[in-house]
Amino acid sequence: MKITGKKINPAFYLMTIPIAILFFIFHTLPFLKGVFYSFTDWQGYGNWNFVGLKNYLYVFTDPDVTGSYIFTFKFAIAATILVNVLSLLLAMGLNSKIKFQNTLKSIYFLPYMLGTLIIGFVFNFIFANLVPQFGKTFGISALSTNILGTDHAWIGILIVTIWQSLAFNTLIYLAGLQTVDHEIYEAAEMDGVGTIKKFFKITFPLIAPFFTINMVLSVKGFLMAFDQIMAMTGGGPGNLTTTISVLIYKRGFQGGQFAVQSANAVVLFLVVVIISIIQLRVLEKREEKLN
Amino acid sequence: MRKFSKQLSCLLAILLFVASLAGCGSSSSSGKEKIEVFSTKNAENTEILQSMATEFEKTHKNVNVEIVSPSDAGTVLKTRLTKGNLPDVLAMGGDATFMELQKAGTLEDLSKKSYVNSVQPAYKKMVTSISKGSGLYGVPYATNASGVLYNKTLFKKAGVKVPQTWDQFIAAMQKLKKAGIQPLELTFKDSWTTLPIWNGLAGSLQSKDFTTQRLKNKTTFAKTHQEIAQKYLQILNYAQPDFMGTTYNDGNKAFALGKAAMLLNGNYVIPELKKTNKKIDVDMFPLPASNDAAQNRITSGVDVLLAVSKSSANKEAAEQFISFMMKKSNAQKYVDDQFAFSAIKGVEQQDASVSGIRNNIADGHVVNFPDHYYPAGFDLASLLSNLSLNAENGMTTNKNVTQFLKKADTSYNTANVQN
Repeated sequence: MKITGKKINPAFYLMTIPIAILFFIFHTLPFLKGVFYSFTDWQGYGNWNFVGLKNYLYVFTDPDVTGSYIFTFKFAIAATILVNVLSLLLAMGLNSKIKFQNTLKSIYFLPYMLGTLIIGFVFNFIFANLVPQFGKTFGISALSTNILGTDHAWIGILIVTIWQSLAFNTLIYLAGLQTVDHEIYEAAEMDGVGTIKKFFKITFPLIAPFFTINMVLSVKGFLMAFDQIMAMTGGGPGNLTTTISVLIYKRGFQGGQFAVQSANAVVLFLVVVIISIIQLRVLEKREEKLN
Repeated sequence: MRKFSKQLSCLLAILLFVASLAGCGSSSSSGKEKIEVFSTKNAENTEILQSMATEFEKTHKNVNVEIVSPSDAGTVLKTRLTKGNLPDVLAMGGDATFMELQKAGTLEDLSKKSYVNSVQPAYKKMVTSISKGSGLYGVPYATNASGVLYNKTLFKKAGVKVPQTWDQFIAAMQKLKKAGIQPLELTFKDSWTTLPIWNGLAGSLQSKDFTTQRLKNKTTFAKTHQEIAQKYLQILNYAQPDFMGTTYNDGNKAFALGKAAMLLNGNYVIPELKKTNKKIDVDMFPLPASNDAAQNRITSGVDVLLAVSKSSANKEAAEQFISFMMKKSNAQKYVDDQFAFSAIKGVEQQDASVSGIRNNIADGHVVNFPDHYYPAGFDLASLLSNLSLNAENGMTTNKNVTQFLKKADTSYNTANVQN
C-alpha cells in the first residue's frame, strides 16, 4: 500500500511507537513467556523441562478449578446484569433536567477514583463492625453477623463490586445518552408515545453501541475479578469466593504451582477472549438490526 | 524525512530496551564487603536486626550489613531466586519456602560450623527433616509456640484451673460458660487462624510416622484423622457467635479487653494483646488434645532460621555475622525483643506471659507444626474454614467430618505431585 500525496509527520510516530515498545516489553513479552512456561514444569526458578500438555490436563482434573469456574461465571453474570441495569437507570436520571446534576455526577463517579483494594478494606470494616452493630441494635438477626463469614459472602462482594463499577458504566451510558438528539423525543411526545415505549423504541436502540461496549467490558472485568476478593475474603470462607484469578495467584505463587497455574491463566485468557468475541458478534448484529 | 523517523524510532527502541535492562542489574562496589541480610518477618524484627548489624559493624570495620525485609517476602524471595540473585544471609521461617530454596540447591551446608553445636537438637531435627540430603542448611535461631492463650484473671474469677487433659479442657470451658464468661474467641474470618487448632490437635494425636506415610500415599486422613476432626468441631461449640466473621485483629482486641477467656493461637499474638491492653494478665498452656496428659505437647516450630546462599560473594562475612547473632547474649536480646523463644541451649524467654510453657520448650517437649510437612499447594486452611462453616450451618458432625476428610485426601493428592 502506498500513501500518496501528503508526507506523514514524524511526530505521529514519536507519539505511538515508544508506547508500542513499552507495551510489548511490559505486557506482550511477559504474556508470551507465561504461555511458554505453561508447557514446562518450571517452578518459578531453577531447571525446567518441556512437559507438553500435562499442565493443561492437570488443570481440568483439579476439582477446585472447576468449582472456581462455576463461581466466577455466577459472579460475572450477576454483576454484569445488575451493574448495567443500575447504571443505565442512573445515567437516564442524571441526563434529565434535575437540580444538583453536576454534584450528583461527581458523587457517583467518586468510587471509580478510589483503589479497589482500599474500597475492599473499608467495606471489610463496614461488614465486620458497622452492619452487625446496626443489626444487633435493631434486632435484625440476618444483619447481626458478618456476611463475609457466611454462605452469602459472595453477595457482600457483589454489592461492593457493583457500587464501584457503576461509576464507569454510568459515565459511558451518559455519554451515549448525550448523543441522542432531543428533537426525536419532542417528535415522539407530539405523537403521544409513552415513557416506556420511548425508552425501548428510541433511547435503547440509539445507544446500542454504548451498551455493547459496556457489556463486553463488564463481562471481561468481572471474569477476572481479583482485587476486591483478595481484600475482602481472600477467597473464603472455605473456597466459596475463590475466583479463577484468585486461585491462579494463590496456587501459582503461594502453592509453588507456577507452570500449572500459567496453563490455567492461558485457559482463562482463551475463555475471556472467546466470550468477548461471541458477545461482540451477537451484540453488533443486534445493533445492525436496530439501526 | 521518513528515513530519519525510522532511524529515530529504532534508536528510541534500543535506548528504552537498554534502560529497562540497566534497571535490573545494579552492582555498585565500594571498598567494603557488603552483605545483605534478608528477613521474611515483615518488618517485625527489622529493628533488632538493625541494632545487631550496627553492633557487628563496629567490630568488623570492613563489612557493611544491609537489612532488607519487604512485605510479601516469600514472593520476593522466589522472584529473586528466578533471577539467580539471592541475598547473602537469609533469616526466614522453617517453612515451605525454605524447603523449596533448599531443594533447589541454593543454600550452603552449615552442619560443620562451630556455632551449630549450641542449637537444641529438637529444632535441628525440624530443619533436617524437611531438607533434602543430610546436611544442615539453615541454623534454627528463634522459635515460636502455639497452644492456648488464657486470661488468668478470668480463669480465677470462674475458679478454673489450667486443664491437663481433654476432658478437663471441655469441663473448664463449660464452667466458664456457666460463670457467664465467653470461653473461646475464634477468628476464622482470617482462615489461617484455623491452623493453630488443627496443629495443636494433630501434633499430639496423629501417629508419628503419619507425615512420611501420607507423603508416600500409604495412609489417608480418612483412616487416621477422625478423632482430630471431631475434636476440632467440638471446640467450635464454645466459640463466640459470628466466629466465622471475626477477623484476627478484632478477635485479639476482644480477648485483650477481657471479653473471652481463651485464644487458640501462638505466642506472637502477645505483643498485639499488650498493644490493646498493657495490663492484661495472660499466660499459655499446651492444647490438651489427649486424655493422656503426657502426650500433650506444645506445638513449636522454627520461626527464624539463618542460612547462607551458595551464590553469595562474601560468604566469610556472612558467616561471621551469623556466628555473631548466635552468641548467647545476642540471642537473648533477640528473644526478649521479639517475645520469641530461642533455639539456642540456655537462652530462655523469661516473660511471665509465657511461663506456662517455658519448661516444655526448655526440655524440648515440643512437636513441630504438622502443617509444615504438608505439600505447599495443599490449602488446609480453606478446608478447615469450610468444615467450620458447615458446622455453623447445622450439618451433622458425622457427615461433615467424613466429607472433610475425603476432601482433605483428594486435595492432598492433587497437591502432592512431583513434577
